[in-house]
Amino acid sequence: MKTGVYFCSCGTNITDKIDTERVKAGLESSGKIAYFKTCPFLCSEEGKQFLEQELKEERPDRIVIAACSPRDHEATFMRVMEQAGMNPYLMQLVNIREQIAWVTEDPEKATQKASVALKAALKRVELHEMLEKQELEVSPDVLIIGAGPAGLKAALTLAESGRRVALVEKTPVIGGLPVLYDALFPNMECGPCMMDPIIGEILYGEHSEKIELLTMAELDEVVGYFGNFVVKIRQRPRYINTSQCIGCGKCFEPCPASGANQFNCNMEEKKAIGFTFPGALPNAPYIDPAMCTRFTEGSDCTACRGACLMGEGVVVYDDEEKIIERQIGAIVVATGSSLYDCSCFDNLGYGRFPDVTTALEFERILASNGPTAGEIFMSNGDVPGSVVIIHCVGSLDEDHQPYCSGICCQYAFKFNHLLESKLPNAKIHHLYKEIVSPGKEEYALYRTARENPNAHFVRYSSIADMQILVDNEQQIIQLADGSKINADLVVLCPAVVPSADAEKLSAMLDVSQDRFGFFEELHGRMDTARSKIRGVYLAGACQAPTDIQRATSQAMAASGYILSELVTGRKIELDPLFASVYPEKCAGCKVCMKVCPYRAIGFDAGNNVAVVNAVLCHGCGTCVAACPVNAIKANHFTDEMILSEIEGVLK
Amino acid sequence: MSDKPKLAMYWAASCGGCEVSLLNLHEKLLEVEASFDFVFCPCLIDTKKSDIEAMPDKSIAITLFNGAIRTEENAEMAHLLRKKSQILIAFGSCASEGCVPGLANLYSKQAILKTVYLDNPTIDNPGNTVPVTSCDVPEGTLTLPAFFDRVQTLSQVTDVDYTIPGCPPESHQVWAVVVSVVNGTKLPQLGSVIGAGCLSVCDECPRVKEDKKITSFHRTWEIIPEPEKCLLEQGLICMGIATRDGCGAPCPQANMPCSGCYGPPEGVSDQGAKMVSALGSILDIGDSKGRSDEEIAARLESLLDAIPDYIGTFYMYSLPGSIIGGRVNK
Repeated sequence: MKTGVYFCSCGTNITDKIDTERVKAGLESSGKIAYFKTCPFLCSEEGKQFLEQELKEERPDRIVIAACSPRDHEATFMRVMEQAGMNPYLMQLVNIREQIAWVTEDPEKATQKASVALKAALKRVELHEMLEKQELEVSPDVLIIGAGPAGLKAALTLAESGRRVALVEKTPVIGGLPVLYDALFPNMECGPCMMDPIIGEILYGEHSEKIELLTMAELDEVVGYFGNFVVKIRQRPRYINTSQCIGCGKCFEPCPASGANQFNCNMEEKKAIGFTFPGALPNAPYIDPAMCTRFTEGSDCTACRGACLMGEGVVVYDDEEKIIERQIGAIVVATGSSLYDCSCFDNLGYGRFPDVTTALEFERILASNGPTAGEIFMSNGDVPGSVVIIHCVGSLDEDHQPYCSGICCQYAFKFNHLLESKLPNAKIHHLYKEIVSPGKEEYALYRTARENPNAHFVRYSSIADMQILVDNEQQIIQLADGSKINADLVVLCPAVVPSADAEKLSAMLDVSQDRFGFFEELHGRMDTARSKIRGVYLAGACQAPTDIQRATSQAMAASGYILSELVTGRKIELDPLFASVYPEKCAGCKVCMKVCPYRAIGFDAGNNVAVVNAVLCHGCGTCVAACPVNAIKANHFTDEMILSEIEGVLK
Repeated sequence: MSDKPKLAMYWAASCGGCEVSLLNLHEKLLEVEASFDFVFCPCLIDTKKSDIEAMPDKSIAITLFNGAIRTEENAEMAHLLRKKSQILIAFGSCASEGCVPGLANLYSKQAILKTVYLDNPTIDNPGNTVPVTSCDVPEGTLTLPAFFDRVQTLSQVTDVDYTIPGCPPESHQVWAVVVSVVNGTKLPQLGSVIGAGCLSVCDECPRVKEDKKITSFHRTWEIIPEPEKCLLEQGLICMGIATRDGCGAPCPQANMPCSGCYGPPEGVSDQGAKMVSALGSILDIGDSKGRSDEEIAARLESLLDAIPDYIGTFYMYSLPGSIIGGRVNK
């Protein structure tokens, strides 16, 4: 085997400490190398040309390069090898700069260390294999789960770049939470007004044909991997032909059945056929089979169909559940979040006292299309004279959720601002643990609240120390120090928590959840829009409590990743540094499956062996160390290579 | 003497279980007798060391050598039988890896003799007498073989041709080896493990493996395991994942976790290290993101506290043959 050594001086960075001639003499006398050549800057244009020329002339079987950290120029040298027609994996780079020259004071020791490191590399490189990159055909289409601000933004962006998108939404209406809010922090923009243009683009815009919107639908099954997922989507029947319905609402009036409207937090009733709220999009009603007497009683009521201006075919009573299968290359999870259950605070009386509401309920009360058309009343019909807004309910609390939910202070100050005009005489109390309002626009609502003469700020340390009581028909709140505040209306700002079906989705997608239940990002600072599963991206509050600004930015980041990683017409290249199972050595104990952070290991039950999916594998080697029978091989990092390297150091 | 090939079996530091495993061939022993001339086995036959010494070199076809090398006598017999045998087989866990006698490598020779002859509460030894290799008495000099500082495996003192693992080797596997020798099947490469499989006990264990995630460990008497589910997944330390197969997995099928007697699987050099590496990968201490080092360490410790004896658990059979070998006595 002909092995050559290329020694980079890195100017004087390396040779200041390491005596090249002695290293060279030691290796040449060992008879293990064919030649030893030096270069002042191997990474420079001249250096690369020198290396390419050398490799073409010498035609070595293996090379060892003594230079800098592989993080600097391993890829550079590998490209040069490819250009010279040599397999780039037949090289070992020895980091004699960062790990030796820069950290070893004594030149004598540095020279010895360099010699030893080179000996180790020479032992190892003998065992290197010609690894080849593999290529895989992919589908460029994308599945987006959740049609809130993040999901819509990603869908539109991807469609605009020519991608086909399946946009799956669990509810009958798209737009997420903002369409429920009359005003949004920090600029008091109207929620539906902000969302409607993008929803309009999704439904009827230039690129809408590329977006397949599936409302009342949920992901049912996922198989495959990045570039080649096959997903099954279960769509519940709407019982309305949305292409014919004009959304006039004439069918509501004659409907004999009604029930609680969960889109208004069950604060009012709606008909069995109807919109979730006025202005909801897509502009078509739906029939709730839990209310409609055709389903609850088996009646033959056709009142809604009879009222329809567009004919008999619009209301479809025999509409059925559909399973829709799609082939896609990437998945964006944009399922949003939920609110902490306030009924677990017995002292706050939520659920027992009608005038204790959550922030979401209060948003609907404030909304002009809400149950009270925006008017604020107490349960007895009176106008409240005092409103207590309790921040940090369940947040910053080791007994509940330890994190700050980030958005509550801002909407609390938004409430303050709205109350100032809606109830000019009401006292407003903000009970808070911490006030958090960072950002270039966000201070304004806080300042307005502070300047409101009716507003009072009271800091508390533990929510368990306060008690909401009804005393002589007057609702009051008693604080830790025993003082009491009139609280005609209490608004709780609950912690933002993962949505209820996050766990189910996590299991289906194999995407891990963090300890709070939010979907876990690849990296908390650098890669929040990617999950640890290649091809599954995260956007919005499913990953962490977040506001609209961050959710949509994250959606754009996810779109960017998809556009750069999953390019139409381009195959994906598989790095050959993946792990593989020797099926004849695997005993099927399944130790490896649990340890893989990327869910790259599947199980072939027929042959009772584990199988690594090279597309999903990141080559981390965790399974290789865990396998109790040495049945997994890590390409380029085999046990034999590592042991021979150690041997090279020690012998 | 007959012209049948000669068979010998010897016990060094061992318990006698290996002989029992040979006897467990029952009536098949007659077939062994029909094919071999059983020349030496101190447990069963009255031939002496001097008889073996008198035999020409390489005159024994096969010697099944069980037991570890604890004393000078063990070593001497190992060398003698090596010289007299064409094929020397390390038979059973003691000869191949050191086994339970090898756990003595956790203590110095002095500490062992002190415990056994001086501190042992059932010993009455007013003169503080401990064994010595030579002792003068009025009648002359008495000698004893030396007690070595360390227990060694057979292959650490002499060349071994094949290894049959197990504590003791399962009789059906002993029979399989006998049959293949009698039938003249070509023997595998020298140094191979014979009479065993090449995978791990999991391959033979019918228990269902699902989710290798261990949140707590239990001793065998603390829980009644579910009958179908992998014992390791139920928190019992089953060495089966890191133990060579071939035994037929009788222990896990009888609700007892594998203790590892068939040694490391093919290609694994250190069974205990491999088990620790695998276990370390599947211990579940919950989400540790954002937790302090102290908290993570405390959680791990509370999990590991349930394992009472690391070496005795992970190296019960393999300490002298492992990379660590035993405690370093300074």
